[in-house]
Amino acid sequence: MVNKDWLTVALAKGRMLPPALELFEKAGIGCGQLRETSRKLVFTVEEHKLRFILAKPMDIPTYVEYGVADLGVVGKDVLMEQEKELYELLDLKIGPCRLAVAQKCGGGKFNGGYVATKYPRVAERYFQGQGKQAEVIKLHGSIELAPLLNLADAIVDLVSTGKTLIEHHLEEIEVIAQITSRLVANPGSYQVKGVRVTDLLQRLEAVLTEGEAKPC
Amino acid sequence: MNEKLRRLLTPEGVRDLLPELAGQKRELEKRIQASFSRWGYGEVSTPAFEYSANFVDEMKAELTDKLYRFLDERGRTLVLRPDFTLPLARVVATHLAASPLPLRLCYGGDIYRYAHGQQGKQRVVTQAGVELIGSGCAGADAEVIALAVDVLLELGLAEFTFCLGHAGFLERMLTAYGVAAAERETIKFYFNNKDFVALKMLVQSLALSEKAKEAILRVPGLRGGKEILAEAAGLVPGGAADEPLRLLAEVWEVLADYGATKFITLDLGLVRMLDYYTGMVFEGYTGGLGYALCGGGRYDQLLGHFGPQRPAVGFAINVDHVLKVLQRGRELPAGSALAFVGYGKAQRAAAFAKAALLRQAGERVLVDVEERPQEAALAEGERLGAAKVVYLDGRAGNG
Repeated sequence: MVNKDWLTVALAKGRMLPPALELFEKAGIGCGQLRETSRKLVFTVEEHKLRFILAKPMDIPTYVEYGVADLGVVGKDVLMEQEKELYELLDLKIGPCRLAVAQKCGGGKFNGGYVATKYPRVAERYFQGQGKQAEVIKLHGSIELAPLLNLADAIVDLVSTGKTLIEHHLEEIEVIAQITSRLVANPGSYQVKGVRVTDLLQRLEAVLTEGEAKPC
Repeated sequence: MNEKLRRLLTPEGVRDLLPELAGQKRELEKRIQASFSRWGYGEVSTPAFEYSANFVDEMKAELTDKLYRFLDERGRTLVLRPDFTLPLARVVATHLAASPLPLRLCYGGDIYRYAHGQQGKQRVVTQAGVELIGSGCAGADAEVIALAVDVLLELGLAEFTFCLGHAGFLERMLTAYGVAAAERETIKFYFNNKDFVALKMLVQSLALSEKAKEAILRVPGLRGGKEILAEAAGLVPGGAADEPLRLLAEVWEVLADYGATKFITLDLGLVRMLDYYTGMVFEGYTGGLGYALCGGGRYDQLLGHFGPQRPAVGFAINVDHVLKVLQRGRELPAGSALAFVGYGKAQRAAAFAKAALLRQAGERVLVDVEERPQEAALAEGERLGAAKVVYLDGRAGNG
């Protein structure tokens, strides 16, 4: 059932998909069919013996962990939250943002309290490491509502431009980590399909170094 | 969930195996031990718990954190064995101290480690492995790898790869470039997790020459056949890593004569953190499985903690992982055919004799202890899914 020649890559549906496809295309892997809006979730690129599957970002580490996909493209935020034993091969520099703590403007120093977040494990680890007591409340979206409605004293969430925070009268007080999308591998696939994985890794790396050399 | 049901479930990290799977696992363990035995390894059995003092000094903190500890009736600390290498080292230093070398020993059984924070991670793991003690040569290294390959092939695993590296390569390379001890540990930690993103960030932040940074960051790419060894030698100044590289070349040559190199990838970034390795290290992987099937290496310093210093090399197979792979590929052998024997009371002795005969032929035989009449017995046999139903009644004789 394991086909040594084919590689399966799990990509996240949504706003991270177009830049990921652009990267693969620059690396010489035509994946235009993935841009078409359809309900298809599995795509094959016969020429390169590649199969792409589209999944929810939070599910990508699971697909890779169980070997359904050999490789995955997923945000560091998701990896930090899930702590799966995957190999993190390459920083794809897609979707740069930061995982940050924010609270209502003028709140002073945050010394603990209720924290609303989509990332309960990251938040718990972070505040523990700071020696602060935080009661973490898991939410699935619209995190910035929590302080406004007094559900929480602070939030832990992704921040890119900071516009959303300002609109909700919140201010960023601490940065937990810089986030970008990463290329991750299933350890078994990394070993057994070593040649294929290395080839793809080198193609992507070449695109990224070229991008660094010519700043736009 | 009600309180009673909660009490009936197993604790986190342990599980029950039901008849079919438990039988397949037992069979798997038997076949592994049979392979070890054919290579001349003799089985050693050690107790599930020992004095903590035997172990704790020899372990890295990562492992001591995972020990199951408890007290005996006199307040001494005992630990459940977290691996087999340490107990075997103790046995070699005591009972077998006078035995001629090299010693070829094997073992099989459960090890116990707390697994923190990871969902679904098992805390009791069944291992089977070997230790070859008293020989420090490349031939001994190659023998245990060839044996591991032989076992996986014997078990019917089709597609697997062994990665082979050297515990001393990175250490020597980093030292040669003047990387400080604390940073060497962090770098090795990133190599162990294959976290190449964090590795790159750390290396680029160090006060090293561009050449050194480039060389270190090239190591993850040093995977392949024998040809990578020459490139690797060129990356380390002053021939500092020539000795480990020469050894790997030698092991490779021996493995080629075993016909095993098609299963081997040299991987100079291979690090096995939790252990006491001093020389070659290896791990076996199969496609799609997120953890190693087996792993091991050379540990020449360990036995000196228990008795005379002796070179040693070994590996352990994770039986549960192999079971999972074979189960997934539906490659586990089915049990032999099931037969059902019913009888009329007058024929009871004849029925038992018939059952004994079938059992001798290797069949699984159920005897109808309820002594049902013929029609009911035939129906019962069918309900149980027996491939063969035999009925011996009081009149016509056999069925």
